Formats: sequence, structure tokens, C-alpha cells
Amino acid sequence: MTKAFKTKDVLAAEQDLRSRTLAHMPQRLERLLYLASTRDYNTGVYRHDGLAVRFSEQAACEALADCHREAFTELLDCPLEELVKQLERYAAGTRSRSDFIAAWRELEPYRVAVPSGTDSLSSELLFSNLKVALAILQNRPADPDSPGPGASPRLLLVQ
Amino acid sequence: MIALIFYSLIGAGLLALLVILALRQRGAVEGSGEQFAQARQSLVTLRSGLLGANAVERIFDPRDWNFIQAGTSAEIHDLFLAERKRISLLWVSRLRGEIRNLMHFHLGYSRLHGKLELETEIRLAWDFALLLSACRALEVLLYLRGPYGAPGMVGITAGAAARVCATSEQSLGLLSPLSKDAFRRDSAEGGAAV
Repeated sequence: MTKAFKTKDVLAAEQDLRSRTLAHMPQRLERLLYLASTRDYNTGVYRHDGLAVRFSEQAACEALADCHREAFTELLDCPLEELVKQLERYAAGTRSRSDFIAAWRELEPYRVAVPSGTDSLSSELLFSNLKVALAILQNRPADPDSPGPGASPRLLLVQ
Repeated sequence: MIALIFYSLIGAGLLALLVILALRQRGAVEGSGEQFAQARQSLVTLRSGLLGANAVERIFDPRDWNFIQAGTSAEIHDLFLAERKRISLLWVSRLRGEIRNLMHFHLGYSRLHGKLELETEIRLAWDFALLLSACRALEVLLYLRGPYGAPGMVGITAGAAARVCATSEQSLGLLSPLSKDAFRRDSAEGGAAV
């Protein structure tokens, strides 16, 4: 009975998260980074105050973890061409495209955006694709049609 | 003098063989719970990860290569091919490792399980041997010709691995509740629960 209630609670939290927060993030990459940023790196626990108030901390944590895994799988399934487009749009929203590319190539912040329990082959494939996508972006002039900084909320990989 | 060295070498070889055999017998009990769990994990990894349509399709997706060829520099071509080669080698190496795990478990378990059909066992042993050889051959091909150098071989190996998994699962009845009961029935009364 408790388990059924809990599952229902998690499903409702997921629905809420999708409709209120993730719906404003059309890019898969952006969703992945946002969801990773809600995770405490010291404990691996996901936190979202709004969701926790509406449901419970446990339900919020499970809903965020589920959506994080889903976002990772969706991004992994992206063909390279689509991934380059997503990265281009994401970079266009930052203050300096060249700084963004340099920082991402050097620091590889996407490595901490992987959900726990992910198969090492899957994460290696995504890292490899992002590495190639960044190299392509670096050799390509900025797209004039891309939205400028502030067009979409920028996300940080730290809480 | 030469004959003495020759026979001494043969003697040393036989002694080494005896030591190896003795050490092997001291290893984990075949068909133990740990091996069962490991084999079960191997099957899950193979089915949901390494042999999943998405994994194989994404790693060897020709659209990615077409995209790279169409609009990027030679430097990017090289980077992409090197990266995809590394991933494809990682894939085939993991595939071989999991197949080997499954084969070792199967060999150990089949010796304890009298109900297995001889014909199925022989076929499975043959399939395992062929598959491991195919994985090795694929590894060499990917290394020499790159990730897009052996598309047919990738499909054949993945298909053969999927078939071996299915046969192995059917033969041992892994992962099915019915067979877990059978596994329990195989244990002596009051034995450890599986």
C-alpha cells in the first residue's frame, strides 16, 4: 500500500516536473545539464525545493532521478548532427561562444552530468560525441540565426 | 646431455600442469550463487546494453560518418574516426568479456545439471567457441579498417551473440521464475535459498 502510494506520488512529481520546468527547456542537452545540476555531488541525492514542498523530498528525488536518466538516454540517441545543433544553440546562449568551447574542451563538465548507474560504454559514447561536436563547433563560424545570450536560461553545473 | 634437458623440460611442464589443475580445483564452487548472479548480470548487460538495438545502431550509425564527411575538415574526420574506433573496440571487448563470463558459468553449471540436453549443450559450446572467435576477428577488423570497415561482420556478430544468449537462457532457464524453482529443487532440503 505504501509502495503503491509512493509510486503514484513519484509519477505525479514527474508529471509536475515535466509540465512546469522541463517544458521550458526544448533542448535535450539543456535538460540533461539542468537535471544533473539538481543532484548533490557529495551524496548523489537530487533536490528540488518546489517539488519537495508539493510532494515529498523522496518523491522529488526519485522523479528528478528518473527524468535525468530519461534525458541522458534521449541525448545519447541523438545523431551527431543533431547533437552539434544542440551544442550550437546552447553555446549561443552563453556570454562568449569561444570561451564556452575552450572551457568545455578543457574542463569537460559534461562528465559530471551522467546519471548514476549508467553503463560505462554509454557514457563513453556520449563523451566521445560531445568531444567531436565541440571540435566541429570550434572550426565553424557562429550561426547568425542562433539566439543570443539570455534567450534561454543558462544553467550552471553547480548548485 | 641433450636428452636429459629434454626430459627435464617435459617433467617440469607436467609438474606445472599438475599445479595449475590443483589450483583450479581450489577455486570457487562451480554453479555457486555468486556465479549464478554474475551470469545473470552478464545476460542482462548483453540484452539491455551491448546488444540493444540502440547501442549497436548508435555506435555504427553511418549517418554520423556521412555528416562528418559532408561538412567538416580532414582534422575532424580523423578525430571522429579515432573516437568511434575507440568506442567500437570498447564495445566488442565488453561483448567478448560478457560472452566469456556466460560461457564459464554455463560450462560449470552444465556439469552439475543432469537435465540439460546433450545436443543443445554441444550446439551451445560450438556457438560459444565460434562467437568468441568472431569477436576476436571483429576486433582485428575494427582495429585495422576502422569503425565502418566491417558493417556486415558487426551485424553477424551481434546477431550470433543474441542467438547464443537466447539459447543459453533457454537451456539454463536463467531469469525465469519457473527455473528459479527448478534451481531450488536441485538444492538439497534445507540448503541455501536461491
